[in-house]
Amino acid sequence: MHGLPFIHVREDNVDALLSGLKAVIDDLGATVLLPIMIFIIGVVLGAKPGKAFRAGVTIGVAFIGINLVIGLMWTNLSDVAQAIATNTGVKRDVVDVGWPSSAAIAFGSQVGLWVIPIGIAVNVVLLLAGWTRTLNVDVWNFWHFAFVGSLVTAATGSLPYGLAAAALMAALSLFFADWSAKPVQAFYGLPGVSVPHLLSAQILPIAILTNWLIERIPGLRDIDLSTDHIQKRLGVAGEPVILGLIIGLVLGLVGFWNPADIPGMTAKVLKAGINLAAVMLLLPRMVKILMEGLIPVSEAAREFVQKRAGDRQINIGLDSAILIGHPAAISSALLLVPIAIILSIILPGNRVILFADLAVIPFVVALAAPIVRGNVLRMVIIGTITLTIGFYIAGALAPLFTSAAGSAGFKMPANASQITAIGDGFVWIGFVVVKLFSGLGWLGALIVAALIAICMWLLKVRAAAMEALASASPEKATQSNGRRVSA
Amino acid sequence: MTKKTVLVACGTAVATSTVVATAIVEAMGDRGIDVETRQCKATEVPSMLDGVDLIVSTTPLPPNLPKPAIVTLAFLTGIGRDAEINRIADILRA
Repeated sequence: MHGLPFIHVREDNVDALLSGLKAVIDDLGATVLLPIMIFIIGVVLGAKPGKAFRAGVTIGVAFIGINLVIGLMWTNLSDVAQAIATNTGVKRDVVDVGWPSSAAIAFGSQVGLWVIPIGIAVNVVLLLAGWTRTLNVDVWNFWHFAFVGSLVTAATGSLPYGLAAAALMAALSLFFADWSAKPVQAFYGLPGVSVPHLLSAQILPIAILTNWLIERIPGLRDIDLSTDHIQKRLGVAGEPVILGLIIGLVLGLVGFWNPADIPGMTAKVLKAGINLAAVMLLLPRMVKILMEGLIPVSEAAREFVQKRAGDRQINIGLDSAILIGHPAAISSALLLVPIAIILSIILPGNRVILFADLAVIPFVVALAAPIVRGNVLRMVIIGTITLTIGFYIAGALAPLFTSAAGSAGFKMPANASQITAIGDGFVWIGFVVVKLFSGLGWLGALIVAALIAICMWLLKVRAAAMEALASASPEKATQSNGRRVSA
Repeated sequence: MTKKTVLVACGTAVATSTVVATAIVEAMGDRGIDVETRQCKATEVPSMLDGVDLIVSTTPLPPNLPKPAIVTLAFLTGIGRDAEINRIADILRA
């Protein structure tokens, strides 16, 4: 009689304590939790405590900066998107907020808290097991894994699913890096390097298939577009701040076109232009602070893994940012900017309007270059197909993208539409993984794991055939002027 | 010695160039060379050259630049890092 109510009270207390703790943790969010986590990871990996502490604080500050810019940007972009919708009757209610937003959402999510230890563990295990030859020192780009994980968590409401998805993506990126290593090293002149970067890797199967088709189309297969003059002519538009201004002005004109009120229209159009220019410049600056905070941790991680990898011959996995300066990547990406805008208008059923990530297209096409030997026309065709698929993927993933942003603590403006970005909202890999997890649960996870294992196994036992797929065949490579007789 | 300016370029002006810029500032500081870094995308390099003493990039640069330029992955991979630091120090001391 006496004890019973007491126990009840105690259970209530424990519940209250737990839910209180959860509320505190939810309330703290990325600006406090991530710094603590980064400090712990840094110290565990052997960074000096002082450095690790400063790194953690820097990351918290970065999230505050990103939040400031994102609030401003999402409001402006939503306004322009809505104006376009009302002015043209075309419904484009999914707004592209740019990959820096995606990176911030990914690292700010619950999965993002754990993605660095998970990514390192997956890499070490696969290296020691001999299933990969890539040592991924590009800790910064672990955000891609966390991003897919946070979409899975948004879809299923389960953190373990999200963490599993992130681990599988870390493994998948290593497969893609190994698969494309030789062609990338030969074409880009980067010995000992591979690129475990999901946004770039997703084009590989599409590029291989499309290139195979092009080889069978007389006329088309004989055209080889040179890169030099394209880059020279379009060079200045490759600067993000100018590109942002131009895109903002053009989209502003479409949205606010109103011959009856020229002064009012002009003001709005100019504002749209300068706002998008600001986004293109400011958001990457803020994300740069995040990157600065990660450096001590990623350096410590690199040394930690390199020590344990031993003497075996391995490739160092790096950001595909190292490929982007190549003329083939720049030229085809510049040509794809207007194509992407046209696609966003003409594709039936598309709801996505592109803004901030028109500057990220070089990353989308970079890994296609070795397959087509830098033929810009083919890269543009392959890029167009990849982006077309991407628009529908982005539309389908937009609700999850938006809710992942919300749960990572980013304040959505009151009038916000749904959001996406080319990196990584346009990536079919994420879509497939999310569907498998949300449809089949752990069975889906098993299927993804099995597919990755099969790919890695094929690369081990059929290395020559697999590598031939991902590169131009030797006899083609010896053709000097790009013209050749039919195969 | 006057403050030297190093322009650090990569594909995004965010990720790899930040690693390189941080490493250069630290390594040059150890050698008593006062450096300031700016970051940009490789495509922006030609319009960012005012007052720049050296360009360091992790990705191919546009041709015919009027300033000394180094394209290197040493700061990302850790391989050959000391040699690159010496090379950069030599150029900045010249």
